[in-house]
Amino acid sequence: MHKAIRVLVPLAAAAMPLALAPSVASADDGSTYQATLNPLNNSNGSGMATITLNGNTADIQMSWSGLPAEFNGGPYPHVQHIHIGAQGSCPTPDADKNGDGIVDTVEGQPFYGEIGTTLSLKGDTSPAAGTNIKTAPGGDSLEYNRTIELSDATAASLREGTGVIVVHGLDPSTLSKKAQNAKSNLVPSLPLAATSPNLCGVLSAMPTGGVATGTGSTAGLENPGLLGLGAGLLGAGAAGTVLYGVKRRRATEVA
Amino acid sequence: MASPSPLFGRRSGLLLALAVGVAGIVVLVLALRSQVEVPETRSAGTIDPPASSSSAPSPSADPSGEPSPTEQAAPAPLGPSEPVSIQIPSLDIDTSVFPIGLNPDGTLAVPQPGPREDLAAWFENSPSPGQPGPSIIEGHVDTASGPSVFFRLGQIRPGAAIEVERADGVRLLFRVDAVRDFKKASFPTKLVYGGKDLSEPTLRVITCSDFDETIRHHVGNTVVFAHLVKVRGR
Repeated sequence: MHKAIRVLVPLAAAAMPLALAPSVASADDGSTYQATLNPLNNSNGSGMATITLNGNTADIQMSWSGLPAEFNGGPYPHVQHIHIGAQGSCPTPDADKNGDGIVDTVEGQPFYGEIGTTLSLKGDTSPAAGTNIKTAPGGDSLEYNRTIELSDATAASLREGTGVIVVHGLDPSTLSKKAQNAKSNLVPSLPLAATSPNLCGVLSAMPTGGVATGTGSTAGLENPGLLGLGAGLLGAGAAGTVLYGVKRRRATEVA
Repeated sequence: MASPSPLFGRRSGLLLALAVGVAGIVVLVLALRSQVEVPETRSAGTIDPPASSSSAPSPSADPSGEPSPTEQAAPAPLGPSEPVSIQIPSLDIDTSVFPIGLNPDGTLAVPQPGPREDLAAWFENSPSPGQPGPSIIEGHVDTASGPSVFFRLGQIRPGAAIEVERADGVRLLFRVDAVRDFKKASFPTKLVYGGKDLSEPTLRVITCSDFDETIRHHVGNTVVFAHLVKVRGR
């Protein structure tokens, strides 16, 4: 008896963490976020990103297409970032304060905030790399898969739902004359179009667990097993009733 | 003639037979009142989830989004516009769609009792149908008042057509790649809401499955994986 208890108590203790694990935990590790990358400033682009976060390690997957392909004879550089620490939303057209027809990066900042992480192709991912077009993706589409360490601030922003992915670089031909000729308010050596936001997507946590799309009112009758049960019960009932009648007739005859 | 036992006398025998018969009728009526064919059995766990590394049995059943060899390359992705209706002709499903978000506990909200309970819902944080990545549309298999909009969804087969109309008037044709059942307790969140290929416009249609007799609840989800094959009215 005592021996059994000595064995069982540690076993039970060892099982406790399993029992206390949240029931929503799925087969996936960490928290996963998703962002639908929607066009800003009359862009024709579209995209999606997912981020799986374990501690500050982020496995980032992103795909977009429909962005300007060329700039000065080379692939159009599209700097891209996780912006943090503001409303966690994407700007609407009325955020265009100077009336040049586009919401530039600075005008969008009250909505999506400052750069928290630069989604470069290689090397530095800090805000300092934010306008480095040498490590930015280029061309009209991107398949991006990179695992990076996020700063504490960016990781915290993701968890509180204020992380926003912004991909920059507009087609100058879609801009007003005023905007076409303007210089970037971030990098004066570049045109305004190059640094203005093209795609924007708020990172939100993916739904946890399964989906509660049933009440059980039909008791699983999308499963035909019960239909068979019903027919079986009906048959048994009918047989019993007939049998009763036969027996009763016999009984009458005997009596 | 043997004297009838007190427990199974003639009268009680008749009552038992009638009771069994009535129970049968009740179950049958419950089953048939939906005036639809009863879908085939699908049980969770009998089919492995499609691996995100795409080890599906055949190209046409590959939910990672590879177009089947007979279909042309996927149409170019569209911009955002909310879905307003979904049709699945092979199952006689035709319903309007409204946007839905997350519950405070982080789970996907579902249509609540009221006029929209038997409609389909589009998860508003997922891409619009036609945008890159998986667009999520869900609906009840049943509600407190009986079978609901996706009662027959488990019957759908690879190759079936699913049509979606968007608010911008664009109509999309999706082709079913695979149908999978997952236990809710081990729901593959990343596979369903993300997946390996985010570049192709895909669709996931979700309802409940796997009614558990002991707890009187559905313990699984049926997930239909489909990819975009045609765009009209762009």
